[in-house]
Amino acid sequence: MTPLVQATALTRAFDSITAVDHLDLTIDRGEVFGLLGPNGAGKTTTIRMLATLLRPTSGTARVCGFDVTEQATAVRRRIGYVMQQTFQSGRYLLTGREAVEIEAALYHVPARAVRARAAEVLDVVGLAPHADRLVMTYSGGMKKRLELACGLLHRPEVLFLDEPSLGLDVQSRHAMWDHVRGLRDGGVTVLLATNYLDEADRICDRLTIIDHGRAVTTGTPAALKRAVGGDVLLVSTSERERLMQSVGNAPWVTRVAAPDAVVHIYVVDASVALPALMRLALDAGIVLERLSYTQPTLDDVFLLHTGRELREAA
Amino acid sequence: MAEWAQEVLALARRWFIMLRRERLSLVFSLVQPAIWLVFFGLGMGRAIDARAIGTADYLAFVLPGIIAFTVVGNGVSSAMPLLFDKEDGYLEKLMAMPISRSSIIVSRFLYQTVLLAGQVILVLAVAFAMGVRLAAGPAGFLVLMLAVALLTLAVTAAFLALAYAVPGHGTFFAVTGFATLPLLFISNAFVPFDAMPGWMAAIARLNPLSYAIGTMRILVLDGWTTELPVTLGVLAASAAALLACGTYEFRRHTGGRVG
Repeated sequence: MTPLVQATALTRAFDSITAVDHLDLTIDRGEVFGLLGPNGAGKTTTIRMLATLLRPTSGTARVCGFDVTEQATAVRRRIGYVMQQTFQSGRYLLTGREAVEIEAALYHVPARAVRARAAEVLDVVGLAPHADRLVMTYSGGMKKRLELACGLLHRPEVLFLDEPSLGLDVQSRHAMWDHVRGLRDGGVTVLLATNYLDEADRICDRLTIIDHGRAVTTGTPAALKRAVGGDVLLVSTSERERLMQSVGNAPWVTRVAAPDAVVHIYVVDASVALPALMRLALDAGIVLERLSYTQPTLDDVFLLHTGRELREAA
Repeated sequence: MAEWAQEVLALARRWFIMLRRERLSLVFSLVQPAIWLVFFGLGMGRAIDARAIGTADYLAFVLPGIIAFTVVGNGVSSAMPLLFDKEDGYLEKLMAMPISRSSIIVSRFLYQTVLLAGQVILVLAVAFAMGVRLAAGPAGFLVLMLAVALLTLAVTAAFLALAYAVPGHGTFFAVTGFATLPLLFISNAFVPFDAMPGWMAAIARLNPLSYAIGTMRILVLDGWTTELPVTLGVLAASAAALLACGTYEFRRHTGGRVG
């Protein structure tokens, strides 16, 4: 099966900055694929190239089998692009229903089907009860959902979502995730750009971590985390250097990192490593102020591949 | 073609819904030229030397000038929503849709022409009630509306070109605020060429507005003269040139993108 989105060495430079640098992407039909990275990593630039809005400096990309530069119109007919921002000017003095109906016509939904299609997508995102209110009076979450509805009007094969839950409260984020899962279950392929670890972890089937325009690693969230190791011990101590030296060669340690005040000790199994660490600290006379352990998160994956934490990078 | 028409109508629908929600703005727009005609026309008429303008009927003389003033005055608001779409990112969203780029600006021409037609018909009705008759008769009315449509096209295209060329709306409003009134004063809107100093008349003859006003003034005061096709022709050529200019700036702004 040919992939739905295929980017090969996709590159875009702005003056002296290379925003996207030889990026390879392969997205299969029916999956929710994540682009995870800090602000400025090149996520939006990548999406804009795939959405035919930006010409690549070099490299190629095919979406739904069509080249994004040579067959732009064919691509535009098959994609939905939900941008990061919501619109003041674009929705000025329009009700939700009017805004959606106008865009339905712009996607060439047949005139007699426009009303029904608009009502259908408003219902999908839960805006049906508010359809006849002015968009200017919507909350941030409702505006985001309206944009999502507009992205569904022409039943796209692939949907590009740029930071779909940016600025939303917890409830609205969960609602947005439910919508995205529902779309996937309905057969829509989704490419989702995010800098939220939990968002990528919860709704992406696979993801690529992107940093400084380069793909750092790709895989399912579970596989990426598995690659980090079994567990992570998080240790606070005033003697970081000594602790890191002491545990560095221990057989139960796979890797040690200290991106911030807390020392991250990656181990195969915390239940074995915890007593071993305590014994080692006692023997070496290192005072441990705090000790806890967790399963690796995508933050650990980012740390493993870039040497920085995603939270800091952003 | 059917798809293109659907796009233009959908985008125009947006403008008309906005207009309907801003009824007060609609009322002011509609009555403004009539107010000008009555108060400016009647007042100034008493102070004007009939020999300078070549007719004793100042109201009929100034009617085309006031129509041109209305079109130019609407120029700023014609480009404003598209300027805001550009700054807001909504233009970018439209660009990602499978639509013809031309439908975006054509929808605005369509809207402006309909709005202007309403304003002009109202001011003509007021002029009629005040005793002004078109020398060219009822058919002249149609040609006059054609001149209004061409002028609307020219002015809207010029302001759109500016909107897409400027770095931000500050420059847009600075330029339009500066240029709008001088554009009228340096034309034959209120004063005929013959009454101007020679150098000023020379500049005014380069102003496309003068040809729109000239066309309408011939229709109102003189009827079907041989000069009519000339002024109408220059007006049409100016509109075409400004349209090319607007299209160029639009393409330049949306350039760097694909197709």
